[in-house]
Amino acid sequence: MQTGSSGEVRSVVGATDTRGKHRISAELKRLEQETRFLEEELEQLEKLERASASCKELLINIETRPDPLLPVLLINIETRPDPLLPVTNGPVNPTWDRWFEGPQESSGCRCWIL
Amino acid sequence: MSVAELKERHMAATETVNSLRDRLRQQRLLLLDTDVAGTPGRSQGKTPVTFGPTDLVCCRTLQGHTGKVHSLDWTPERNRIVSASQDGRLIVWNALTSQKTHAIKLPCAWVMTCAFSPNGQSVACGGLDSMCSIFNLNTQTDNDGSMPVSRMLSGHKGYVSSCQYVPDEDTHLITASGDHTCVLWDITTGLRTSVFGGEFQSGHTSDVVSVSINGSNSRMFVSGSCDSTARLWDTRVASRAVRTFHGHEGDVNTVKFFPDGNRFGTGSDDGTCRLFDIRTGHQLQVYNQPHGDNEAPHVTSIAFSISGRLLFAGYTNGDCYVWDTLLAQVVLDLGSLQNSHDGRISCLGLSADGSALCTGSWDTNLKIWAFGGHRKVI
Repeated sequence: MQTGSSGEVRSVVGATDTRGKHRISAELKRLEQETRFLEEELEQLEKLERASASCKELLINIETRPDPLLPVLLINIETRPDPLLPVTNGPVNPTWDRWFEGPQESSGCRCWIL
Repeated sequence: MSVAELKERHMAATETVNSLRDRLRQQRLLLLDTDVAGTPGRSQGKTPVTFGPTDLVCCRTLQGHTGKVHSLDWTPERNRIVSASQDGRLIVWNALTSQKTHAIKLPCAWVMTCAFSPNGQSVACGGLDSMCSIFNLNTQTDNDGSMPVSRMLSGHKGYVSSCQYVPDEDTHLITASGDHTCVLWDITTGLRTSVFGGEFQSGHTSDVVSVSINGSNSRMFVSGSCDSTARLWDTRVASRAVRTFHGHEGDVNTVKFFPDGNRFGTGSDDGTCRLFDIRTGHQLQVYNQPHGDNEAPHVTSIAFSISGRLLFAGYTNGDCYVWDTLLAQVVLDLGSLQNSHDGRISCLGLSADGSALCTGSWDTNLKIWAFGGHRKVI
């Protein structure tokens, strides 16, 4: 909300007065709409569960895909395998290690670009 | 009604809105009884992640840009990356072989963002020209690397800071802009399907600098803004955000959905990353490393590992922390490892299968990081 803009409105006669009036009116409508949205959100908050419930859900439901970045594989069907973790659920996908196979330098690259 | 009366009502309405916002903030604080790190978990889920010194290593350095790298994106089919640089070029890399397949000289050199289409045949980019340009990679380039633009998406009234294709839809993408809006585009027609926020709608009140689309439900996306908030949007409802997430005390530079699509992470100029729940609006965790008297470095970019257990965060001082998302502890700093970047890490991205992280830096390079240690089975 650009509340500062209300201070820029000048009370002058004629066409300028009309333009200023329309702008303030449009902003007022937006503020009234925003008020309704915020009141709705406040009502929803009264029925909302605490953060602890959402945190517990995160712990239980953290993804079940194997993670290639994790260093340890857990036999746990409820956690997503992560290739970057030292400890991860299986199954391991052998393609996770393709970054360490074959030539790792671009000396074979014959691209003329740049 | 006279102008004076309207002004009075405007002032009263502004006070009402501010008072309601304060009440909302206070109510939310009352519901924040704990965070993720403070929640007891099953023993395996809360075993700390520990990396040996040679576990996460830099296994590729992609050299070729001659200016700061601002943005990067992987293809869904795993091995290709597009990057955008201050040198005014997009480069498409085969990350496995380090080869460059395209080096596109852009009509406007001031590029800030790039994205790969889901089918890998096109790339999009945007920047200070306030437009999003689409290039078909099957098109021939000139000797100097110029390629005709296959579609120009114009309509933003400010710079294009971020763009992402809608998952599995090569014909739609979402942009974020310095004009305070996000836009959903139909690439086939070049027209705006929806505008989120803006002058006559409820939305961000400052530049929008980041966008992330939910991989599990592509109708939902989040945006991060210089107004210190992140907002969740439903593409079917452009008139208002589904929810606004407060908490950060500075520009929200980066947003990224959590792998399961029910949460998202943010990174900010206030030096912290945060995790939010999209269904309840709760802030689940703050990731903050104390810096003593020194001003905390700003977070430039974030990415989650495929399980969500790791949060990678790049900072303006060259650090790249690997956070354990469940314990809110830094388990590694990629910025301190051998072969790391020599400058700020400006962008991060995880490969589609989660086996590699790509970092882009102001040192002009991109680097690929993967797990090279021994995985134990327990």
